[in-house]
Amino acid sequence: MRRGIYPSPASDWLLYRGVRLFLSGGSTPCVSASAGANESSVCWLVSRRAAGPACGGAVGDGKMAAGSSSSSGGGLGDACKHHAQLGVCESRAKYREGRRPRAVKVYTINLESRYLLIQGVPALGVMKELVEQFALYGAIEEYHALDEYPAEQFTEVYLIKFQKLQCARVAKKKMDERSFFGSLLHVCYAPEFETVQETREKLQDRRKYIAKATNQRDCFVLKQAEGPKKRVPENSRHDCPWSTSGSHAASNWDPSCFPSSSGASHSTGYPCGNHGQSLLTFPQYDNNSAETSVHSGQNTSLTINMHPVEHTSPNSLMQQRTVPVDNGINRFMPRTTHLQERKRKREEGTKLSLIGTSMDNAEVIIGPQLPEIPKVDLDDDSLNTSATLIRSKLKEVADSVSRTSVEKPECSSAKPLVKQRRRI
Amino acid sequence: MELGRLQYLQALVTEFQATESAEAKEQVLANLANFAYDPRNYEHLRQLQVLDLFLDVLSERSDTLVEFAIGGLCNLCLDKTNKDYILEANGVEPIINCLSSANEETVMSAVTTLMYLTTPQSRQQTTALPVVECMLRFSLSANRRLSNLATVFLEDYCTPLQVEEARNLSKHTAVGIPLPRD
Repeated sequence: MRRGIYPSPASDWLLYRGVRLFLSGGSTPCVSASAGANESSVCWLVSRRAAGPACGGAVGDGKMAAGSSSSSGGGLGDACKHHAQLGVCESRAKYREGRRPRAVKVYTINLESRYLLIQGVPALGVMKELVEQFALYGAIEEYHALDEYPAEQFTEVYLIKFQKLQCARVAKKKMDERSFFGSLLHVCYAPEFETVQETREKLQDRRKYIAKATNQRDCFVLKQAEGPKKRVPENSRHDCPWSTSGSHAASNWDPSCFPSSSGASHSTGYPCGNHGQSLLTFPQYDNNSAETSVHSGQNTSLTINMHPVEHTSPNSLMQQRTVPVDNGINRFMPRTTHLQERKRKREEGTKLSLIGTSMDNAEVIIGPQLPEIPKVDLDDDSLNTSATLIRSKLKEVADSVSRTSVEKPECSSAKPLVKQRRRI
Repeated sequence: MELGRLQYLQALVTEFQATESAEAKEQVLANLANFAYDPRNYEHLRQLQVLDLFLDVLSERSDTLVEFAIGGLCNLCLDKTNKDYILEANGVEPIINCLSSANEETVMSAVTTLMYLTTPQSRQQTTALPVVECMLRFSLSANRRLSNLATVFLEDYCTPLQVEEARNLSKHTAVGIPLPRD
């Protein structure tokens, strides 16, 4: 329940265009979020199939929100509704006009998500290019095609899950409305793919961010925010947060003191959401240099305030999921993330060897992976055979190349003493 | 620079109050609600009494205006000063009323706002029995976003006792409704 594992039904129901991305061959026990969540996600997909094309469920949406709990197909209708692109607002007063034309919409933390839905991707087999493009903005945890999602003709819909909300934010901002292989992308947050735990972490992260951001000006709050330092029994939060509030007189109970599960702790306080901007920008704040300087200023002070929450021990399970084994990940990650990732992997390895869990038999395939070479039926047995031969040979060669390139730096760092051969 | 920001926000508030156009009202309110996301604006927003503005709009007829106002409250209510202000101003009640809105975003913002407004003092109010009962219903919703949010509310902000009580209550109210046949 506490783990942010993507609910399994999705993997059964959705047809992946690419390779299986996150669920390993069994070494990561797949715990689905909760019975309720499972049901609803199954429901989403089943109703998709039943409803046929287009947004059949959109009508039921209003009722849904009012709380009629058992109406079916609401999940999809919901997806359709808040993903529908609103018309651009044409009637803004001059002083409220932003740099880019935008619709009238209010963003809250509920609408944001690490999951991005990318619509309007031309069906040209460009998943690799798409993911590479998005990986420029941060590490991607999962991605796959949503073949079942209603899409316009000749386009595809993809789902990309970033490791951090801030990366998803930037990616959305930069990639929305961008031309990609001749078609305009429509990028939106897809919080309906979150598990309960991911939603919880998202809300907690916002809480932490505000606590830190307001600390800077308010020395009064500073004291309070240091609360979590004192009591951080990692798992206590989930058990009974209210028990700490038992003594009201103490009045030191502040929900912001919930120690977060460290799975979420890697979000280092996002540098100010650009929400004001998303609707319009101040004319005078409009240039990016001003913005970034403000942000970086805040960032540095944020990091100073940060408590070191680095101990990762109790959540090994949570992190196991994201152990990057495959080499595709090197491609898509920024270098710093890659280094962190590798460090964590190493720690992970030692931890596992201590625990004694054998991970040898099942290879963990997690994270972005390149699509396999498409298997085309050549309508002829002998042609097919030779094609398979060529493919396997290609794969062999590619594997050996990438393996050496991966291993090399680690070897050199491990044994710096080995003398390098001199070239003549 | 900070003065410019204040003046700009002031212009927005003035336009909201002066304009006759419903459209302009919506746009300006959306602007203010989005500015409420960024903690850098909190001081100014308090100074311009935008919190009161949001709270007042909650009782408006317009569905869109209510959606934007509760969105704004959701964005700024984590700040301690803002939180205290909203609680002082008896803001919890109109926020709870938003739970019965037909607008999905309004409901979502209201649930989150209630979570963020929960303190030892306000707990009585924010997790009152009808609210918990409502969350129980939401948690069974097929709408994944809503059910997730309601589940977090029930698990993190309510005691098991409260949940049990609400469950019993909804059982009682269901008395008399025939069970579905096989």
